[in-house]
Amino acid sequence: MRQSSPRLLAIGGREWALLGAVILASIVFSVASPYFATAGNATTIARNSTELMLAGLGMTLLLAMGSIDVSIGILMGLAAIAVAHAVLASVAPPLALLVGPVAGAALGLVTALVVVLGRVPAIVGTLGLLGVYRMGVFALLGGQWLSGLPAGLTQLLSSTLLGIPMSIFAIGLAYLAVWLALRRTPYGPHLLSIGNSEEKARLSGVPVTKVRIATFIISGALTGLAASFYVANYRNVEMAIGSTLALDAIAAVVLGGTSIMGGRCSLLGTALGVILLRILQNGLLLMGVPSLWQPVVTGALLIVVLALELPVSGMGELKARWMQR
Amino acid sequence: MKNLLKRSGSSRVLLLLAVLWIAVILLFAALRPTMFSASTVTTVLQFSTILALVSLGQCLVILAGGAGIDLSVGGTVSLSVVLAMLAVKAGMPPALLPIGCVVCGLLLGFFNGLLVTRLKILPLIATLGTLFVYSGMALALTGGGAQSGVPTWLLPWGRGMILSMPMPFVTLVVPVFVIAAALLLYSAWGRWLFAMGFNERSARLVGIPVDRARLLVYGLSGLLAGLAGLVSLAWLGSARPNIGQNLELESLTAVMLGGVAISGGIGGVGGVIAAVILLVTLKTGLLQLNVNTVWQVGIVGALLIAVLLIERLSKRWS
Repeated sequence: MRQSSPRLLAIGGREWALLGAVILASIVFSVASPYFATAGNATTIARNSTELMLAGLGMTLLLAMGSIDVSIGILMGLAAIAVAHAVLASVAPPLALLVGPVAGAALGLVTALVVVLGRVPAIVGTLGLLGVYRMGVFALLGGQWLSGLPAGLTQLLSSTLLGIPMSIFAIGLAYLAVWLALRRTPYGPHLLSIGNSEEKARLSGVPVTKVRIATFIISGALTGLAASFYVANYRNVEMAIGSTLALDAIAAVVLGGTSIMGGRCSLLGTALGVILLRILQNGLLLMGVPSLWQPVVTGALLIVVLALELPVSGMGELKARWMQR
Repeated sequence: MKNLLKRSGSSRVLLLLAVLWIAVILLFAALRPTMFSASTVTTVLQFSTILALVSLGQCLVILAGGAGIDLSVGGTVSLSVVLAMLAVKAGMPPALLPIGCVVCGLLLGFFNGLLVTRLKILPLIATLGTLFVYSGMALALTGGGAQSGVPTWLLPWGRGMILSMPMPFVTLVVPVFVIAAALLLYSAWGRWLFAMGFNERSARLVGIPVDRARLLVYGLSGLLAGLAGLVSLAWLGSARPNIGQNLELESLTAVMLGGVAISGGIGGVGGVIAAVILLVTLKTGLLQLNVNTVWQVGIVGALLIAVLLIERLSKRWS
């Protein structure tokens, strides 16, 4: 039942179902609201999906490894502050773009030190870091917004390359790079074997600690890249930045067919999950549902998807193992 | 009572907490000597009440093992308060407000339990989902505004004192903790929880109804969150949709600090109440030094990580 071979971009039943759901949701919302099927709204959905596409890619790797990080939203906030300060200091836009991933990778390393080297269960450790990082965001912002940022980075990231918008280009590149790493290097089999059974992976010679640290750093870097796009898109950073990013990312990844017990992942599924989630959120907003209901809908969606999935056999032992991570 | 506390948590943990507590008090005494007064004790106990009730629920869930964790406790507090208050506004007799609030909590807790035991969803993901569902609903149903209209006969209980101790602490927290300690130590049900947490497979093999016991534990966690909500109603005089914010972090910190093993099966309620008082003393002291609440969240988070790191390291070296 639990596949250990990478199911990465192969189109399976889950991906077709998601594609069908995306089309169905689009049709329903087009009928329900005259504003849904417009070019402007498509741009809005695409723009709102950018950060989640990147952060969700990192979350896919973490969940596939049998780990989790609930602090990514505020991690994006810290990286965004770094990017914003780089922009304010008139750093050249290409360099400012790089500040995000570098800051994110550094924060990912901090998470890895706590969770992997400190052997603290990921859920509790990252929840603690969430509190610490929130304090960091507050301390750095001083209770104010960073707003009215110069447009240099925005111009760079809203430009097109070979006729493709920069954000789609970057997302495609990130997914391609992760796909190649999973498919063409030992990293992929190592990651999934850790997700299946850490002990067995260790016994068969997988450098477990290294792979786990690397994955937290990769996830941090991807979330940091998301921060660069956030700053470019919105040109401000405020206190509540990223407050639902972790939930959205987990929901999209689980929707995409990646197993929360580890050992199975689907990159295409994650991308489709992100699109479906953002279409649902956008459509409900257009139908007049207040945005305060968004976390309720996302949380409910997460629970419903998991409830529909067949329980994995040997759940007891797997669960006990989860708390050791 | 003393005997119970001693046996319900390892005495080493309690000693360590006592030392830490004295260190915290000395630190604040050095920074602000005026803090030493009877009113500070009252304040600490008053603020402890909600956290103590919620942490007890969290403690039971974690003790029962199976990767048990209840991230939704804060959302449960907020939503039960809001639902009970909205029910009163919709025509429910105000006399039923306390019962309504507690029953809401119980039902929300049972819902978590069903997700975990029947649908076999990993507890941390299930309760992460319900955390957002519950706390989101509390905000969405009220638009974020506090709901007034708590009947005035409830307020004397929430704000009153017995021997300069807050009434809710004396009449609710103390009995609830004594009952919980007695159940854990002397009842078969309590032994079941420890057995389940320590080794679930053997617990199943010896015939313990693991799923039923676990469902009940999540229900109890919800019930205690409902009671915490009731305390907030009687104390603040209004239903605040964000009253449960950060409680998942604080209750986890209290439970870990109190010596409960994250994998379940080890720990007790004595350490938890000691850890709650330590945490609240720290927070009250910071409040008196005019430290922003966001800093408090950060300090609690750092404390949680520190406790877990120390636990792991001491295990490795001992």
